[in-house]
Amino acid sequence: MMDERSLQVARGLTISYVKGSTLILAASGLLGVILRWSQAVPQARIGDNFWYALMTAHGLGAFVGWAGFAVMGLGYWVLAGVGFPVRGFGFAMAKLTWWLMVLGVVGVIVTTVFMGFGASWVFLYPLPFYGSGNWGDWATGLFSFSVLLVGLAIVTWCLAILHTVTNREALHSVSSSIGKRLGLSFGWGFLMPRTFATNPKPVPYPVIPLAVIGLDMIIATLPLAGLLIWQILQSMHIVGQANVLLAKNILWWFGHPVVYLLLFPAVAVYYWLIPRYAGRDLVAGNVIAIAWTVAVIANVLVWAHHLYLDYPSGTAQAQINTAMQPITFALVLPSALSLYSLAFTIYRSRFRWTPASTALFFGLVGWLLAGLSGVVNATIALDVAVHNTLWIVGHFHHMAMLNIGLLIFGATYALLPELSGKALYSEKMAWIHVWTTFLAGMAFFGIWLVQGLDGAPRRWAVLPSQYDTLTRVSLIFVFLLAAAQLLFFWNVLQTLRGKAGAASFDERGIPVPGKPSGDWSVHAAEAAVLILALLLAFAFAVGGYFVGREHPRGGNTTTTTGTSTSGGGAVTGDAKAGAALFASSGCGGCHTLAAAGANGNVGPSLDAVKPSEALVIARETNGKGAMPSFKDRLSAQQIADIAAYVHESTTK
Amino acid sequence: MSHTAAIITVAYSIAVLIGAAISFAVFRSTSRPLEEDRSGTWSRRETTWLVIMIVVLFALLMGTIFYVPYGDSAGPHAQYVRVTGVQFAWAIDAPQPIVTGRPVEFLARSRDVAHGFGVYNPDDVLIFQAQVVPDHEQKIVHTFSQAGVYTVRCLEFCGAGHDKMVSTFVVKPA
Repeated sequence: MMDERSLQVARGLTISYVKGSTLILAASGLLGVILRWSQAVPQARIGDNFWYALMTAHGLGAFVGWAGFAVMGLGYWVLAGVGFPVRGFGFAMAKLTWWLMVLGVVGVIVTTVFMGFGASWVFLYPLPFYGSGNWGDWATGLFSFSVLLVGLAIVTWCLAILHTVTNREALHSVSSSIGKRLGLSFGWGFLMPRTFATNPKPVPYPVIPLAVIGLDMIIATLPLAGLLIWQILQSMHIVGQANVLLAKNILWWFGHPVVYLLLFPAVAVYYWLIPRYAGRDLVAGNVIAIAWTVAVIANVLVWAHHLYLDYPSGTAQAQINTAMQPITFALVLPSALSLYSLAFTIYRSRFRWTPASTALFFGLVGWLLAGLSGVVNATIALDVAVHNTLWIVGHFHHMAMLNIGLLIFGATYALLPELSGKALYSEKMAWIHVWTTFLAGMAFFGIWLVQGLDGAPRRWAVLPSQYDTLTRVSLIFVFLLAAAQLLFFWNVLQTLRGKAGAASFDERGIPVPGKPSGDWSVHAAEAAVLILALLLAFAFAVGGYFVGREHPRGGNTTTTTGTSTSGGGAVTGDAKAGAALFASSGCGGCHTLAAAGANGNVGPSLDAVKPSEALVIARETNGKGAMPSFKDRLSAQQIADIAAYVHESTTK
Repeated sequence: MSHTAAIITVAYSIAVLIGAAISFAVFRSTSRPLEEDRSGTWSRRETTWLVIMIVVLFALLMGTIFYVPYGDSAGPHAQYVRVTGVQFAWAIDAPQPIVTGRPVEFLARSRDVAHGFGVYNPDDVLIFQAQVVPDHEQKIVHTFSQAGVYTVRCLEFCGAGHDKMVSTFVVKPA
């Protein structure tokens, strides 16, 4: 029933998504390396707002632009593989999705990297309108529009998927009711065969998670689209400020299910590919349909577990949060049952271990790790200790990189030959890539978990100094991880260029490794890339460690300088430089200074106090009451510059 | 590391070790494949697995749900402290010196964007935290047992100076 033309359509779609998302991985991965490097090496430190702008681009780029985009594309090929052709309206939506996604991601990169929008990928309302001089309403409006495009891409993808999974012919369904056909795709034929199923095998398992997320993401995304439109209008001064707590709920109403936009299509790929490598059907009882029915409902009712620590007086937020813990626990069931089914599909089978299937297996391990730390986050009493610490960052990198990421790598190695008709360029490079990604990723993200348990705050451009040692250690693994991805890019590129000849497959449809090239230059190139990467990793990490040790932050040297300047004025301040520093250090957030256009009223008004230079230096250096000390963050010269500026602009 | 963080460390480590052992066992099992097909038995046992998971999760729910920080009351002898978050500083206004042993009620507000009020004890251990959103008052109750200088760090991303949003307050012995 799958004619060659339908296969060609799905093949073209999936390849275009894989190409687009792989390019985005390269860009957003590089940003990730810069972020961690800047945290670890004082000399390599980038400006704070630039750091947060890159963090915003990295988050949206890697999470939605790479991982989400890639599994969305793989979804079409899985559906084609189990007899569901993408056509007509579904095909149009699938094409539109590609363009919306690419345009949206380009918009995000432009507004963050070039316009300085740094409110993080969750752009927690009303932060987009409080750029403290680093970005303006223009950037906020354009960023909101770009994210709106990404949101629309998700909705059009859902429409493409729903259109495809309700295909009457593919479902062997006689029912004309779209509701009944959707129920069949949810797996209800397993539970209520008389109502839904019209043939002995109601629906192929990989269809179920795709159908579930296809419906849920429409429900999850539409309110966010409303918030984004509000932000665009507010940036044009057409509407005023919205209800902040409501906006936060809307954000997470989308923010949780979007994780499952990555996971559920990934599960479809596992359901489809693991049996192929095991040489037996997926081991699954009918109860798996119960788990997916729970998922349809629970997925859109767990948003407030991201708001566990919001319980302001006079609101119902505490009650909503409490209800979210059992619902979130219920959402563990589809994962627990899927892992059971996949593990027993592999157990004592004639499993064919290739780089592709090893990556899929490691992906399952990553899923388990992410799930276990997720249960901690889902438990209110435990979340209190780890909320917004680096533990969370470790948790979702386990999820995004070691589960979804490894699945994407595995699926790419397994499917690129049948998608492109060309043999994989180098099986050995793939082996090195898969193992290095898993091991370096485990070490790198494990360090985040440890730092988080030690209270290290999340989203800090510069971490408190007690965390520096582990941050520098993690650099080794950051560079190993990055270097391994270079092998992946090179392998995919050479495969697509047809360097290893035409693809061939064994009786299970598993690609046979291309004829190993006897050419010594291939091995030499592989070895050179690997050795270079290792050397670079160690050089950067060790170099960073020593450089960092030579320049202690907040150590005795800084204090001495600070004290001596406040006493005798050893350093002469430059008022012009001070003006810029006054703005970038956020002084105006608390203090009023007419010359700087600052009207903060937490601390004393500088216009009223007219402090001497020595007093400003003393307060900046040592802090007082609510005023923090700046001696760790500003040099003695910078502190003197601000003092000169404050003195000059209040005594004129 | 706080008491709760220690519990998480132990529980997570044990769970990961068990998970690693199972993963390794599944990996090794493929070197001695079965001749007969037992898929039917394993499929039926998935129901048992579902029941086990429901029991385990229910136990965890019952063991933890009563320890939520919501609705805590400081009682009649509370010490009141006003907290104001603003980009990028905390103003902490205690009319009387804060002392150990008596509940403190922090009444936190924000003047601009969402902030996170994270309190670290004199040993720099994160002991409690709560979100502070604009237009709402967040009440946090805590009884200090240790005197000394406490550090407040912002634990919700609030803009370019987020990592500079640090402050301190002093708790005196009763």
